[in-house]
Amino acid sequence: MIETIINRLLVSIPVLFGVLFLGFALVQLAPGDPAAVQAGPSATPEIVAKIREEMGLDQPMIVQFGRYIERLAHGDLGRSLISNKAVSSELAAAIVPTLELMFASLIWSIPLGIAMGTLAAVWRGSLIDRAIMAISVAGVSLPIFFICLLLIQFLGVKYPIFPFIGRGGPLWTVDGLRHIALPALSLGLIFIGPVSRMTRSSVLEVLRLDHVRTARAKGLTETQVILRHGLRNALIPVVTLVGLQIGYLLGGAVVTETIFSYPGIGRLAVGAILSADFPLAQGTILVLALGFILVNLIVDILYARLDPRVQKK
Amino acid sequence: MSATDTQTPAAAPQDAAPVHKSWWRALMRDRAAMLALILLTIIVIAAIIAPLIAPHDPNLNSRSVMQPPVWTERGTWEFILGTDGQGRDILSRILYGTRLTLLIGLVAVGIGGVIGSGLGLLASMYPKIDPWVMRLNDMMLSFPAILLGLALVAVAGPGVWPVIVALGIASIPDCARIARSIGIGVMGQEYIEAGRAVGLSDWTIFRRYLLRNSISSIMIFLSLRFGQVILIGAALSFLGLGARPPASELGMMAAQGRDFLLFAPHIATIPSVVIFLIVLCANVAGDALRDVLDPRLKS
Repeated sequence: MIETIINRLLVSIPVLFGVLFLGFALVQLAPGDPAAVQAGPSATPEIVAKIREEMGLDQPMIVQFGRYIERLAHGDLGRSLISNKAVSSELAAAIVPTLELMFASLIWSIPLGIAMGTLAAVWRGSLIDRAIMAISVAGVSLPIFFICLLLIQFLGVKYPIFPFIGRGGPLWTVDGLRHIALPALSLGLIFIGPVSRMTRSSVLEVLRLDHVRTARAKGLTETQVILRHGLRNALIPVVTLVGLQIGYLLGGAVVTETIFSYPGIGRLAVGAILSADFPLAQGTILVLALGFILVNLIVDILYARLDPRVQKK
Repeated sequence: MSATDTQTPAAAPQDAAPVHKSWWRALMRDRAAMLALILLTIIVIAAIIAPLIAPHDPNLNSRSVMQPPVWTERGTWEFILGTDGQGRDILSRILYGTRLTLLIGLVAVGIGGVIGSGLGLLASMYPKIDPWVMRLNDMMLSFPAILLGLALVAVAGPGVWPVIVALGIASIPDCARIARSIGIGVMGQEYIEAGRAVGLSDWTIFRRYLLRNSISSIMIFLSLRFGQVILIGAALSFLGLGARPPASELGMMAAQGRDFLLFAPHIATIPSVVIFLIVLCANVAGDALRDVLDPRLKS
């Protein structure tokens, strides 16, 4: 087990470097001379040159990359060009809302997707199966912004049950819950399709195995067979799927947060990119990428823990 | 997904010609898939001949602003799908917008498909480079499409090309993985061994046997990928990071309708529904093709 974790961690190192380099490149490729910006419009060329030296911009690329990583290690991501606040503090304020949104979306959509997929598999070929699969296909084909707009139109405006702008507060407050309802509903909806499809095919596969036949033979009820021997084993690939789909979820979160003016990382990223705020854009992309790597790491380790066969590989 | 995908190659290469025929027969029997294919064909043709059939100039501002579609009370036949917030004919913009949306999807999937399946097939042919390709793949998988899109747009500025390139690159690892598993199935066949025995060059084996016997399975995977790529591309355009005005793109059109959601919901709804239809048709048709090819799902 420990070996698996160490192996997996080692694989992440080049990826981590790639992400850091991406962030560095983003700052490098930004148009304009940072030294000239720092010096101000009235500075003489000598002063600009001096500032360039001070900022280390005359050093070779590799040295600059080293310094960049050093600054990152100290939590220094630069300052936003628009708000002039430290990028790290802007990010810190946006991480919790995004995590809340992901949590609030997955907490209902994954169980529902698994339930739908299991039902479809158990009644394979029936009307229920077809209906569930049709819903899933439609679900993965809907643009997320369309779902958001529909929900705003019906549950926000026509029947004003939920607010659809901003965040009401932490998740455990009533206002927080009311505000997160529509974004979490939108984001969760796009997740049901992939989860139920995966669960269905996985359950179908497991129900064909010998141990399920044995369970039936020893006289367990069908519900017991499905829940205890079928679903439990079928869930392993579903865990991987959830990991693989985190990128998909991330994309959905970016759109959802922007539409609902929800103050998370995704909206921060879009705003920063649209206003050419390079330091902030770099910071948000770094955080999103690191989060993605971390989640994949956790999912892989979880997978190895759930399925002993993976460890032997 | 991988569980079913790895199974595909076993079915495809064995007797290519008969499988090809029964594909069509099985597809014909699947009414939903046929309907999806027909609808998709109509949409594609309409997009291609957009300049011929568009009733108005897509960028021309008329005096009737936010006119509802013809089936509503105030609708007129002059603007069948109504007009948008600037008085432009929505039907014409949809036709041109579908063009751009389809183009983004096709080029991106093309880039990802060619590079990805090239890498994957090479990895299946040369076991020595296989671990390297797979490692590279793992690394690339760490950058989901949306992140690549955001990063590229941050550097290059909003536009269609950064989005296409990002979506193309993001499609490489998945295509490579699928092509590799398909390729490994083909490389295990006897005709490869026979080809080697009579002294065919690697290039000939690649071109004549490996590529030809894997391409249909790869194409099916790409058709499933196409839908996802269109959705992400439209989402990026919706956010203002993709296509720029005055071009019409379906995601961007939906975004422009967002401000009029209360009194003219059709401006945002119509382009969204068109995206939904395109993706739905691609998914249904792709699923059906895969089911036909996958012997386990056929039973």
